[in-house]
Amino acid sequence: MADFHHDEEFRLHTPEFNELNKKLDRREFLTKTSLGIGALAVGSLFGNSLFGSSPKTSAASTGDLEADILRALPHFAPKAKRVVYLFQSGGPSQFETFDYKPMLANMMGQNLPDSVRKGQRLTGMSANQSALPMVPSFCKFNQHGESRTWMSELMPFTAEVVDELCIIKSMHSEAINHDPAITFFQTGNQLPGRPSIGSWISYGLGSDNNNLPTFIVLVSKNGQKDQPLYARLWGNGFLPSKHQGVQFRAGKDPVLFLNNPDGYDGKDRKEMLEYLSKLNQMQNAAYGDPEVDARIAQYEMAYRMQTSVPEVMSTADEPNEIFEMYGPDSRDSGTYAANCLLARKLLEKDVKFVQLYHQGWDQHSGLPSGIATQCKATDQATAALIKDLKQRGLLEDTLVIWGGEFGRTVYSQGKLTANDYGRDHHPRCFTMWMAGAGVKPGITYGETDDFSYNIVKDPVHVHDFQATLLHLMGIDHERLTYKFQGRRFRLTDVEGKVVKDILT
Amino acid sequence: MILGNITTFSGHLHPLIVHLPIGFILLAAVFDVLSYKKKYENLKPAVSITLLIGFISALLACLFGYILSLSGDYDKAVLTHHKLSGITLAVISGVLYYISTDKAKREVRIPGKLFSVLLIGLIALMSYSGHQGASLTHGNDYLTMRTLTQQVREKPASVQSAMIFEDVVAPILQKKCAQCHQNGKLKGNFSVENLQTLLKGGKNGPAIVPGKLTESELYKRITLDPDHKDYMPADGKPPLTKTEVQIIKWWIAEAGAAEGKTMAQLKNTDSIKTQVSTYLGLNNVATSSGDDNGFTQAINPDIPLQADTLLIARLRGKGLMVRLMLKKPVMLDITLPANSGVKMPAIKNDLMSLAKNIIWLNLSGNNFTDNDLTILKSFTNLEKLRIENNPVTDGVSGNIAALKHLEAVNLNETKITDAGIVNIKKNTGIKRIYTWGRAAK
Repeated sequence: MADFHHDEEFRLHTPEFNELNKKLDRREFLTKTSLGIGALAVGSLFGNSLFGSSPKTSAASTGDLEADILRALPHFAPKAKRVVYLFQSGGPSQFETFDYKPMLANMMGQNLPDSVRKGQRLTGMSANQSALPMVPSFCKFNQHGESRTWMSELMPFTAEVVDELCIIKSMHSEAINHDPAITFFQTGNQLPGRPSIGSWISYGLGSDNNNLPTFIVLVSKNGQKDQPLYARLWGNGFLPSKHQGVQFRAGKDPVLFLNNPDGYDGKDRKEMLEYLSKLNQMQNAAYGDPEVDARIAQYEMAYRMQTSVPEVMSTADEPNEIFEMYGPDSRDSGTYAANCLLARKLLEKDVKFVQLYHQGWDQHSGLPSGIATQCKATDQATAALIKDLKQRGLLEDTLVIWGGEFGRTVYSQGKLTANDYGRDHHPRCFTMWMAGAGVKPGITYGETDDFSYNIVKDPVHVHDFQATLLHLMGIDHERLTYKFQGRRFRLTDVEGKVVKDILT
Repeated sequence: MILGNITTFSGHLHPLIVHLPIGFILLAAVFDVLSYKKKYENLKPAVSITLLIGFISALLACLFGYILSLSGDYDKAVLTHHKLSGITLAVISGVLYYISTDKAKREVRIPGKLFSVLLIGLIALMSYSGHQGASLTHGNDYLTMRTLTQQVREKPASVQSAMIFEDVVAPILQKKCAQCHQNGKLKGNFSVENLQTLLKGGKNGPAIVPGKLTESELYKRITLDPDHKDYMPADGKPPLTKTEVQIIKWWIAEAGAAEGKTMAQLKNTDSIKTQVSTYLGLNNVATSSGDDNGFTQAINPDIPLQADTLLIARLRGKGLMVRLMLKKPVMLDITLPANSGVKMPAIKNDLMSLAKNIIWLNLSGNNFTDNDLTILKSFTNLEKLRIENNPVTDGVSGNIAALKHLEAVNLNETKITDAGIVNIKKNTGIKRIYTWGRAAK
């Protein structure tokens, strides 16, 4: 008997296959008799994937609605083909970077006027302060570029590329603490569980490179890890799991569990995967679970990545002047600078959404020294990325985004001394910038009041930013939806207006 | 509220159930008439039971019909006729059933022929009642010759020749409102049949007040928050698109609710032309499926609306990445991955067949020569071109300069000299030329 089994590809009559056999037998019965038509009709109720007609409509519960939504994409001719989002986690202060407030120079230590605050809520960290003493920026500001844009002395390199930037000074958010604020920015909702921007884009537009993930995440090792980041920030939420962001790490294992284990040469890997894939397809034929499709696709992607990842991670071919442009850190894999260089290499390969995270912008106290360190670690590489993309002609169709989850207060948190102060979270206004495909270069959009406390002109909500980002990729943010738990969801929830004035 | 929903729900069952008595009573009559023939004599006993089922289902239809009538919004006169005839029908079918039972036959004997005549009379009554019911649902004129003779307005050839009310506003209202606001089903006592009924309005006053948006009930209702109880279209029926709302707004405010006027005859049409042409499907903009959300893109009209999907699939099969930038017209972004090893002759014909659909093209890093790239001049709609990192020389510059829609060209790391660049710059439409690291390799 044992010999007999060896002739079969699968030992279908072993107990392990019992459940599957029951399912398959019933299916065969249904399709082979006159009830076949009826079975097809029932099948279509549960989604086309049961009969393998369309791989894109794999989520069983939604069927045609989902296919229709995907079929309509793209809604506009896109300006941007790729996105690199340099997320500055912690809430960078607008006072020490982009939002120049000269009026404050004479107001050191004065209490924040009630006419400005208007009774708005503060965080639990400074709500109990007896006074809210205003503090001017310790940095000098100068005008740069043909646009004569005011820039802080802490970002000398960014100042050199200021004519490429579209600086938005009137960003505002709803959340006042890190986790809900970052989650809000990345997923459009303050509570965890929704897909991130990169996942939506991967889901809606698919991949331009079959050998690398569509959505790649790089977290700096040299940011101060005072506030944590979670993998769910680049999670797929309720979208099929192949759309989640894949984190590339520094060191010899850039993608975890991708390398062959010790003692295995990998020679029969392909054969093993083909066999496994057949098993998975049998499983899928019986259950129609879209996650099985995702699993098959992930195994195949991982196999291709065993070649493509070491290739893209290698910086051996980069000339010296490139490392010099990105700064000394760029030779130290895993730093922000090295990640910027790696991001460029990924974008060259048409990876659609690359997201960097750099932590440590949360200066509740000791702000002057803290923010100087942060700028030093990021400024040169950020500017270098812009220059590098530009000279390679990639800024043509790549959108670069720089920004945190909120801004900081005009008043000092904690003790204010002549040389030292801190600033608390401030979601009412903060600065972000975009550059590259489809956005006007060398402009500043929106204005804050003299205290950078309230917005006085052209406010841009987080959902507006998200809508604009999707628009540049060719997506109408109101029409990219996904039905889950009985309702349709979208990145911008029920809000969001494209900021038309910053588009080319 | 839940109770309300249950009654609305069961009311909606009326149109379903009402077909049961129609079928059964008809069947009873057929059995009865056939049983006069010797061959079908044995059908006679079935008449009674068929009538019973017809009677019971008629009762149910009456009950659900009554619940449906509670929702109001029907033409009163027609509703009364339908109601009375329906109830009479149920009662008579009950009486006839009683007569047909064996028990009754022992007490009151009526001749078989008379019974048959009564049964056929019942069918006449049923036809009448059915017609009244259909009038309620589909409007009084649903069965007139007008449906046959009605002229379908021809689609206007241009925005200027389109009649704002007849070709644009009226069809919008017909599509989105007429189901509840026309003829038999006059919800809110309001009809969108023609301009007069619109000006007259319904129980909340005029629907349209020329030139005055704030007084126009119709405009108010379609622009409310969709969750508002007065929002129209109600009950989750498909709302008007933004384009449609903009058109109606303009028609009331700017065109004074004009009738019988073409766009050419009206003033201040600049602000609405795009929306009208979008609605009529006259322009080439990216609005093939539904709402454009207020964005209209300037798209080169020379780009073909279609492309051969088989060719696209074939190129993909050969390792090229073909990205669909837009579906209507079909705009393609084609990339041959660097170092692909693919030779130009292998893909030349496929690319040429899609030439006018190619808008972005990336052939960088594939060891192509001037000779390989002579095909460039066929891609007349190309906007972005990447040929960096190829051993091409000035020979290719003429082909690039000939591309009149080209905006950006990437010549990094090629052998093109300054003379070649000068040649390319003769095409002043090209805004960005990337020339980093030329002749470096």
